[in-house]
Order: sequence, then structure tokens, then C-alpha cells
Amino acid sequence: MKSFLRLLDFIVGAVFIYAGVIKMLDPAQFAGAIDNYKTRLPWAVCVGFAFYLPWLEIFCGLALVFRLLYHGALSILLALISVFIIATVAAKVRGLDITCGCFGHASQHWSFPAHIAVDLAILCAIGMLCLASRSEESNR
Amino acid sequence: MVALTVLPALGQAIYFKDKISWRSSIPASEMVKVDQARSWGDVAIWVDARPEEEFTRDHVPGAILLNEDRWDALLPQLLSAWTPEKKIIVYCSSIGCNASREVAKKLREKVQLKDSAGQNCVFVLEGGWEGWLKGR
Repeated sequence: MKSFLRLLDFIVGAVFIYAGVIKMLDPAQFAGAIDNYKTRLPWAVCVGFAFYLPWLEIFCGLALVFRLLYHGALSILLALISVFIIATVAAKVRGLDITCGCFGHASQHWSFPAHIAVDLAILCAIGMLCLASRSEESNR
Repeated sequence: MVALTVLPALGQAIYFKDKISWRSSIPASEMVKVDQARSWGDVAIWVDARPEEEFTRDHVPGAILLNEDRWDALLPQLLSAWTPEKKIIVYCSSIGCNASREVAKKLREKVQLKDSAGQNCVFVLEGGWEGWLKGR
């Protein structure tokens, strides 16, 4: 079980590092993707997020891989993926035809079900890691 | 970790300061208002970057369909109509849509469309199709 959880750390970490690097290389595209959710955020805030969030994903991904600041990284990633899912569902409900900005250009043509399926799979994986780290702490 | 992330983000913001505008999603030099676009008359080629169903329903008279879904199949039609004297105006559904930005970017960067002086000749219509309808 321990090695499975460690593998999950690597997989989730790698996914966020990849997603972060892809978005970090093209902040204009990511800012446009955030803007497309029509959350009424001013464009300057979208740009700020476009510079900040990819690095947050990269650092949290690295934290999972190297098990540094582990609990903090898990909490941040849990919050991030929850916000992504809520924003995606809200956009769909509002009838917005948005491009998924999660993996930059690579995810531009993802359908809504594919987008949600990936997000939910990541949410489940992070949830498992959170539960495992809690039970690990309580066993100490 | 939240605070640590600010540093590289700031560095990146400085590095990209000329490549991304904090004021508008598209640099002003690459946008065109409906009135100005109309004044270009026959010099303008209108490009509809929306999905084909929306184009079929209605579009700017004379517009050419060009979206990312069928890029390779649709591009030749635009290239056959384009000369360096022409200006290309790309539009999608509304002010918040992304398709026109992406198509315009591809035309500039991949197809490398420029006017005879080597300047940008691909513009995004401000307000998109909704803006055009309002200005009609």
C-alpha cells in the first residue's frame, strides 16, 4: 500500500508539474483561458493568475514528488482542483463554450466529459493521499 | 509555499512584460472596432472563427469560414482570397470568446501573413459577431 501511495505521489506530482510548465510557457493563452470562464474577473487579475497559478502547481507537484511541505501542497492542490471543477461545471451550466486551460494547448479540444473525468480522477487521487497522510499521522 | 510562488511569478511577469498586456486580452494594435473594419471595405477579408453550424446559421456577408477544428481543410480558401494589400478581420461569437484570438495568432505566427510593408495585417474584431450585429 505504501509503495502504491508513493507511486500516486509521483503521478499526481508529475501531472501538476506538466500542467504548470505547459501553462507557464504561454501565460497569454492561460490568461485567455481563465478569462473565458467569464467569472467577471478583470483582465489584469486573469493575467496575475496566469503568472502565479502555474508556479504554484509546479511547486506543489515538486513537493509531492520530494515529500517536502507535503501536507501544505496536498491542501493547496485539493483546493485548486476543487475550484477548477466548480468553475468548469458552472461554465457548462451557463452554456459557455470554453476551452479547457488545464494543460495549455494540449487540452484545447477536450470535451466537457473528458475534462471533468480527468479533474475528478485527480481529485480522487489527491483525496486518497490526504486520507493516507492523515492516518499515517494518527498512527505515529 | 503560497508566498514562495510569488517570486518566480514576479520574475516571469517581468520577463513577459512586452508579450502580454495587463490592460486588454489582445494588444490594441491587433484589435479593430466594427466601424473601422467596415470602413476598410473591399480591402478587408472577414474570417469567421466560430464552429461551422454557427457560420451556416448566419455570418458577416462574404466571410470565409476558418476555425481550428478544420484548419487544414479551410485554410486554402482564405489563402486564395488573400493578397498582401488585404487586411484580415477575424471574429468569433462575442467579446469573451477565444477562437478569434487563436485563429489570428495562428495566421500571424504559423502562416506568417503580413502586409507588403511587413506589418501585421491580421486583426481581431472587437466584440466579435455580437459586436458586428450591434453595429449593423
